[in-house]
Order: sequence, then structure tokens, then C-alpha cells
Amino acid sequence: MSATVQPILDVRDLAVRFALPRPRLFAPRPHLEAVRGVSFALAPGRTLGLVGESGSGKTTTAMAAIRLTRAAGGRVLFDGTDLLTLPPEAMRRARRHLQIVFQDPYSSLNPRERVGAIVREPLDLMAVGAASRERDERVRELFRLVGLRDDQMALFPHQFSGGQRQRVSIARALATHPRLVVCDEPVSALDVAIQAQILNLLRRLQDELGLSYLFISHDLGVVQFLCDDIAVMYLGRIVEHAGRAALFRTPRHPYTAALLAAAPSLARRKSAGYRRDAVVRGDPPSPVAIPPGCAFAARCPRAAAPCRDTAPELRPVGDSQVACHFPL
Amino acid sequence: MSAVTERPAAAPARPVSPFGEAWRMFRSNRPALFGLVLLGAIVAAVGYGTLFHPADPYEIVWAPLAAPGEAEGVPLGTDYIGRDILAGLLKGGGPTLAVGAAAALITVAIGITVGALAGFFGGWIDNLLMRLTEFFQVLPALLFAMVLVTLFSPSLTTIAVAIGVVSWPQTARLTRAEFLRIRELEYVTAARAVGARNGRIIGRVILPNALPPLIVSATLTVGVAILFEAGLSFLGLGDPNTMSWGLMIGANRAYILEAWWPVTFPGLAIFLTVLAVSLVGDGLNDAFNPKLRQR
Amino acid sequence: MSAVSPDGATPLLQVEDLHVAFDTRQGAVTALDGVSFSLAAGETLGIVGESGCGKSITALALMGLIPAPPGRLTGGRIDFAGRDIARLAESELRRLRGRDIAMIFQEPMTSLNPVFPVGAQIAEAILLHREIDRQAARREAVALLRTVGIPDAERRATAYPHELSGGMRQRVMIAMAISCRPKVLIADEPTTALDVTVQAQIFELMRRIQDEFGVALMLITHDMGAIAEMADRVAVMYAGRIVEQGLADDVLDRPLHPYTRGLIDCIPVLGKAAPDGRPPALSEIPGVVPPLHLIGDGCAFADRCSLAEPRCRRERPPLTGRRHGVACHVTAAQAT
Repeated sequence: MSATVQPILDVRDLAVRFALPRPRLFAPRPHLEAVRGVSFALAPGRTLGLVGESGSGKTTTAMAAIRLTRAAGGRVLFDGTDLLTLPPEAMRRARRHLQIVFQDPYSSLNPRERVGAIVREPLDLMAVGAASRERDERVRELFRLVGLRDDQMALFPHQFSGGQRQRVSIARALATHPRLVVCDEPVSALDVAIQAQILNLLRRLQDELGLSYLFISHDLGVVQFLCDDIAVMYLGRIVEHAGRAALFRTPRHPYTAALLAAAPSLARRKSAGYRRDAVVRGDPPSPVAIPPGCAFAARCPRAAAPCRDTAPELRPVGDSQVACHFPL
Repeated sequence: MSAVTERPAAAPARPVSPFGEAWRMFRSNRPALFGLVLLGAIVAAVGYGTLFHPADPYEIVWAPLAAPGEAEGVPLGTDYIGRDILAGLLKGGGPTLAVGAAAALITVAIGITVGALAGFFGGWIDNLLMRLTEFFQVLPALLFAMVLVTLFSPSLTTIAVAIGVVSWPQTARLTRAEFLRIRELEYVTAARAVGARNGRIIGRVILPNALPPLIVSATLTVGVAILFEAGLSFLGLGDPNTMSWGLMIGANRAYILEAWWPVTFPGLAIFLTVLAVSLVGDGLNDAFNPKLRQR
Repeated sequence: MSAVSPDGATPLLQVEDLHVAFDTRQGAVTALDGVSFSLAAGETLGIVGESGCGKSITALALMGLIPAPPGRLTGGRIDFAGRDIARLAESELRRLRGRDIAMIFQEPMTSLNPVFPVGAQIAEAILLHREIDRQAARREAVALLRTVGIPDAERRATAYPHELSGGMRQRVMIAMAISCRPKVLIADEPTTALDVTVQAQIFELMRRIQDEFGVALMLITHDMGAIAEMADRVAVMYAGRIVEQGLADDVLDRPLHPYTRGLIDCIPVLGKAAPDGRPPALSEIPGVVPPLHLIGDGCAFADRCSLAEPRCRRERPPLTGRRHGVACHVTAAQAT
């Protein structure tokens, strides 16, 4: 979180709400507050991780930031321009600079298109490269870049394994030389051995192409591997925001600590008598009925009276920003 | 380890398109293949049959109601005014099939347009179009088609349009349901993320993926439309100037007790055509069903 | 090829040379190819591997639930309580299932019937195998819900599956699985669909259940962390075969098979990082798991293995060793 460089992406007070069906004919329409005033900045060439469990709003935040989901409020400055107020055609053209890799390699590729055409589509839509031959050459180059062979271009998605499909997805995202790539849980649907291949590929591409990543994940091991800064989300809010070293060495929010305790580790051995003593109780509350005060209070081992009344704001504690009345 | 090219084992180098895969499934489905051959035979007979039996279906060639085989050169007998039934079948098949196909095309064109717009845009557009669909759906179809045909002159075009106008709501609902489902899939978001406009997303991304059930439905609509045409003609609302199977049945229906052949042969022709179309439709349905592919 | 049992104890369940084949378009494909292992009362055997390695097929085979067609058991024995249950008639299997061997699945939502309250579903499972009246079964269902840590069990028993969270549903599944005091509990990726904080709760619950009921647990997972935390012994599967087995500590700390080693090394585990800067690149296993119909006579891992010798492509290595076994020509000498 460097203050001297202008961030490539500066999200301020982003809010997203989804309308729910009316409970009765004339009742006011209830809303699900998916993202509640989220702010963060991403410096060029760096990776910011958005971490949280299902319902935390991490994917919605990223989708709203690149306007694939409608935001209810806030600003998203990309290179100083507010994406949320751009007219549709300008936004469409801006998309060549912001791309996305999806979670599910099976549903993110159109099953009726050849993978070569899938990777080429952004080039045609954004009119990158003058001649058709130039675009073909670029597609071949992209295939090699992500570790696929160019004789595979004529195949259809269902002829590839999950890892290879994710490579196609990455090639498509990189086609127009974007500067920001949103990675929405790009490895969580893959087997561990394939995960490592894709994670290494993402990191190599970042080094070679100077990409900035907004990386969404529930897996702290993956996040630690790839992210320079990490924002931990819980029920639509950022509860802790810190650099990699600070977050993993000294988690400040009890929820971050709980996530860390639950993360995969080979060190916790049954043979050595390991038992979990203080596991976080219960499930995340429903985002339809968010409790007043701190959303984590009901599950928090440190919760006290103020936690249930007033929602804590993000404030600096040590090297981190933490939204907690009683940080660790 | 950088740029590991994965081994070719997982991906054969020969492209296998989803439609190619469906065709492979279809080929191994005996009833469907039989339906296709039967349909081909009917179309061939209707198209080229007159080369082998060059008789005029309007010309009186023999005594009325001659039984099959009774007269030389009139193998299927004559109708109530002595016209050659086989000639009528061969000549009347063309308009019958044409009405069926045209009506199915109109059905699909209206149905897909309405369903796609409703399913893709949702909101008030969806509301408006779906109310319209319901309006057409609750109309008694045959009656409405009869009204249309009597209001305008009963020509083949009018009949095809009338059938199309009353049968599109089902296709519209099916299209809408598919669009609603596919709209939420990630590859649609992915298309938007690379800057595709709505028209492209509807036409190039969602529609090809929504096609399989629509193709099945359109095929079956051809059968329904042929029956519809027969029904209208039977009620005397067919195009009197164009020979069709329905018209033949309608014209001869009064003599059914004296002679079974003038209505049975066109009836059989309709039956076989609809059967062939249905078998093909069912075969397509199975071919496009990915769950059956593993077998 | 001996099925190792820990310290010579009589195993409760002994699987010997199990073969399962599936009929596909490419012809009959071997999904399980000579799988042998044993399970003793009160212990936890972890079965770990990537998707398609045969770990779930193994579980289904034990339950007699291989979908047939296209699947079929083509060889081997499953000895349980003095009988070969691989040869049992369906009616006898049904009595065994749920009562002696119970199973919990990855996705609790699809394994619960959406139109009945969860308490009634548990009571139904009890009535299926025990001679008690409906009232008693209901009471027991509530007691079981309490056992698996569901607060306000009385009221939750009347809830429908969709009214419960994913974690609660998995607890209901566990309550149902233990309702007849089974001797063997098979858990197929029981926490994969759950949030990490809830995963931790379910693991803790399973440990407690095991301590309380002395049930033998077979934990099927892709997660080496779950193996470390839950398993006494572990079998690593690859392409339908067990490639390594032994005590969890032995396998995790001194993996013998190059595949096991690769699998452990490629996990981005916390704490691997240098204190500041970023963690080093992950080690990779190149390539992908070969499709089952393309596996020849040799070792299925040979094409991805950095240690592979010509022999590995010709001959299939047997699983050697009693305590810590490995199916590898190159590292077989280190087996114990």
C-alpha cells in the first residue's frame, strides 16, 4: 500500500445491493446488502487479495469494480477515471484494459466455440491488430505464452482438462494486453497438482507482463503465494487489510486469525495429539439480515458488549488496518 | 518449470464439435435413423415422383371411386370425381410439406425473437412479452386459425401464417427458459468482459447454446403444422386451388362409407410424415442430451 | 501385496485386490485396479488422490453402490465381519448399509430429501434398521442432533434441509450416519463444499464422534492437510491404484512415491514463505492424469515422473513393503 504511486485501481466506498422478492404484494422490496462500503487501492504491478468465505461479498466486490455487476454506490477510479460513470460505449472500450479469469473452467468457455476463436474474440471486439493475419499471430503467441500448443486452437473446450481450460481462459484475458486482471478463484476448481501449475503461470505472467491482479480466493495458502496485500472480507465489509508479511505474521482481526487457524497445514498432526481448541462457532450469518454492530460478533471468541452495538471502522493497528474493537 | 506444454494424451488433436458429437449420437439411434430415411423417402417421392407417374391430379381419368388396382395406370384408385389419387398424393405432398415447413419457420422465428428478448433483457420487457405470449396461448388455436383463414383468403401462405401465429408461444417460452438459464453462465459474463455488445451476446453466445431444444421443438412443430393444415382442409378451410393431402381428405370425407381409399391414402401419407418427423425430433432430443452420451 | 494392518491387530474390514471396470465408448475401462487395504476398529484411514483416481469408486464399492451399468465389480474380496460383502445379494447389502457401514457425502444438500424435515429423515433411518417404535425413533433423532452439536435440536429437528446452513446439513448427515452405531463410517470429501471455518468444526466433530463411538473412519479427500489432522494411516491413489500406503507421519514426512512427493510439494502451505518477500515458486507435477483407457502395462505415473526408467513404462510396479509400502520400481528399496 504505497501512497506515492498512483494506484491503477482505486475503489472508494463501493456498495452493491441485490433486490429480493417482496414478501407481500405491497411490502417494500427488501435488499441484500452484498457489499457495504468497501475501499481499497491497487498499485500497478502488484496483487491485492480479497479473501473471505461464501457470502463475504469478495466476488461481488470485484465484479462491481469492473462493472460486470451494478454498483449501488461508490467510485471506482481506474487510472483516475471513474468507471462507474462512464457511458456504455466508453466502458466497453475500456474493457481492453481490465480483464477477468473466472473460477469455473467448465462454464466460463462457450462450449460451441473453438478455443482459438474464444481467445481471438477480444482482439476482434477491441480491434486490436490491423490485419486478420496479425490477430491470428497474436492468438498463436498467446497459446504459447500460457503453455498450450498452437495445434490445439481448432479444438473445442470439452476436449480439454480443467487446467488446460483455465489456460485458455487466461489467454483470452491477456489477449488485449490488459493492465488489470481480476482473478476470481482461478484455481479453486482444480486439483492440487494442476493448481500449482496455474499459480506458477499466473505469477510468471505477472512478472513478464507487469500485470496488476485483483485476486479473489478463500484459500489463504494460495493468497499468501500470490498476493502482496490482502483484504479480508466478512459479510460485505473489509475487516482487515494488511501487507502479506504483517497479515500472516500477526493477524489482528479475530476472524483473520480463525481463517489462518483453519487453513491447510501439514503441521497439525493427529499423531502428535493435535486437537482444535477454539474453533469459531457457527456459520456466517445471512447477508439478508445483518446484525447491528460487528457482523462477526456472534461467532467471535473475543466479542464483548460494544461489538454488538457499534460497527467498528477500519483503523490502523500496527502495520495493518483493522475493523475490530478488540484487535489481537 | 515454465510453459509446460501438457501432454497430448488429454486432448486429441482432432476437433470434435458439439454438433458433430450430436450427429454421431443420432447415427447410432435406429428409430431416429429410420425416421430420417422415411422422411427422405417421402420428400424424394414428393419431389421426383411425378417423373415416374406423370399424371395430372386434376384430370378426371376414370370413373369416380374406382378401387385401387381396378383400373390400369391408377394404382391407388380414383376419388369422388374420378381423379387419380396417386397423382394427388404426389402433387399434393409438396404444398403439404411446404406449409408444414413454412409454419414451423414462422413459429420458430417469432418464438425465438420474443423468447430471446424476454429472457435476455428481463424486467418490463420480459413482463410485456410474456403477457403477450400468454394472450396467444390461451386462444383456442384451431378456432383462431380458422378465423384468420376465413378473414383472409384461404391460400397456402395464409394457412402457414395462421398456423405460425397460433403455435409460437410454446417456442417463445422454451427460448426464454433457455436464455434465462444460459444468461447466468460464466461464459456470457466472459463475453461481456471482453466487450461484446448485447446483439452479439444474444446471437453468437446464448442462441447457439440454446439451439438444441429449439431444433427439437421446431422439428416437432413441422409435424404439428402438417396435422393443422390437414385439420383446416378437412373443415373445408384449405386452399381450394392447391392440391394437398388435407384437401384430399376434406373433399372425399363424404364418401368414406362407400370408398375407404380416397381418404385413407392421404391419411396414411400424413401419418407417415408426422411419424418420421417425430422420430427425427426424438432422435435429435436424445442426441443433444449430454447425459446419454456416456453410454 | 499384503494389506497392511496396524501392528498386527485384526482388521475390521479387509479389502483384497479389488477390481472395478466401467463400460465406456472406449471399451471397458479399469477404474480400480487391484486395490487392497484394511481398516481396524477405531482407526482412521485417509484415502487421498486427485479427481478420477478411484477414491470415490472405492467408497462406493464398499457400500455396494457402484452404478451398474456401466460399472461392475470384476474381481477381489471385501471381507467384513467374517463375510465377503463383495458377493452379497442386494437384500443383504441393504441391511448392511447404514447399519454396519455408513457413508457421508460431499454435498449434504443433495443427499438429504428436500421434502421431509431432517428429524423425520433421521428417525426413518433408525426405523429401517432397529425394532423400536416411531416415538422412540423421534426422540433418538433429537438426541443425535444434540450429539452432533446442533443447538436447539428439538426445534431444528422439524426444519427442512433448505432451512439449514451447509455446515448444519453436514451435521445432520453425520447424525444420520451414526444413528445405527455403524462400525465403519466412510466420509467422501465431507468438508469440500463447506467454508473453511465450518470445515474445522466438522473435522472436530468427526474426531469427537470417533472417540465416543469407536467407529472406524475412512476419510476420502484431496486435502493433505485433512490427512495430517485426521488420519492414522493413509493410502495414496493414482489412476485406480494405491501407489503408496503407510502411517500418516511416514507418508507425509518421508514420501516414497514420486507422485506423493509431488502432491505434497505443490500445495501452497502457509509458513513456507520467506519472512518478507514472496514465497518461492511452487514445485509442479508436469502434465495431467492420463485418461484411464490410455494407461498401458507400465506405471501410470511414468509419463509425468522425473525418476522414470525404461522399466517403468513396461512393467507395472507392485505395492511392496508392510509398514510403509510403495508401488514404484525406483524407490521400492526404501519401503519398509
